[in-house]
Amino acid sequence: MGAEEDPGPLVRMYAVTGGRARPAGEAFDVVAVVTTLGMPYDPVGWTPEHLTVLRMCVRPATVADIGVQLRLPLNITRVLLSDLRREGLVTIDRPAASPAAMNERIYQEVLNGLRAL
Amino acid sequence: MDYARSETLAIKILVAGGFGVGKTTLVSSVSEIQPLHTEELLSDRGAAVDDTSGVEMKMTTTVALDFGRITLREGLWIYLFGTPGQDRFWFMWDELSIGALGAIVIADTRRLGDAFPAVDYFEQRRIPFVVTVNCFDGARVHSVEAVRRALALSPHVPVLLSDVRVRESVKESLVTLVRHAREHAPV
Repeated sequence: MGAEEDPGPLVRMYAVTGGRARPAGEAFDVVAVVTTLGMPYDPVGWTPEHLTVLRMCVRPATVADIGVQLRLPLNITRVLLSDLRREGLVTIDRPAASPAAMNERIYQEVLNGLRAL
Repeated sequence: MDYARSETLAIKILVAGGFGVGKTTLVSSVSEIQPLHTEELLSDRGAAVDDTSGVEMKMTTTVALDFGRITLREGLWIYLFGTPGQDRFWFMWDELSIGALGAIVIADTRRLGDAFPAVDYFEQRRIPFVVTVNCFDGARVHSVEAVRRALALSPHVPVLLSDVRVRESVKESLVTLVRHAREHAPV
């Protein structure tokens, strides 16, 4: 690393997303679960951050955890995830675990799990 | 519907209350990780600014977002999000509260009024919540009924006395919330 002046974190973030502030396609929640489907045939054109996500989400992970791992704000993380989804490299489960997505068995599992902590 | 994947579920619970009331402490007491810190970048022109040109909202501010995680089993997690304290970040609550299972509102016995905005917020949006009154050392212990009256809570809203530093106490709040959410789940 040289002693050049740091252009600032915002510049770095926009470099990661090619200047985009909004993810493409359907919105997804901060706890949406991301799962890697495959690696790109040609890594050219993908940023190190994209590739980190693909390696990380071989085991499903949430958007929030991915943001922490990348050390990037959630909106920037979402842009990267939407790129990967567009190319069919990840799935992003929607919606959030809304109360409607819960059923009696999951409630019971959650209650038992909490009591056992 | 992919049944294998539907078994993977991240449950979102919000932790709300006035500034300095112990939201991060509560999250730390049960989280398996040190509360994690992430951020949202905000436009200085407000969150509603839309960007159709493909170029650039000017984003100048960040809102901190702290959360913790409890893994109940592989593929079943609870995420606890501390809601940003300042009023100008209400829109962040809107995003966080979509799909949330429910919320824990922490009340401080010395400043019960600080819990009002959170109580109002969740009541208006019909998001299940419990109120936990943080009774740490030396704090005046209000009776549950006095707190219920002071906060004008509906009879069905659970109120607990707790110590957010104590894991068992926070677990009790979580169990109470999940049971409450189950009873009031949309059919």
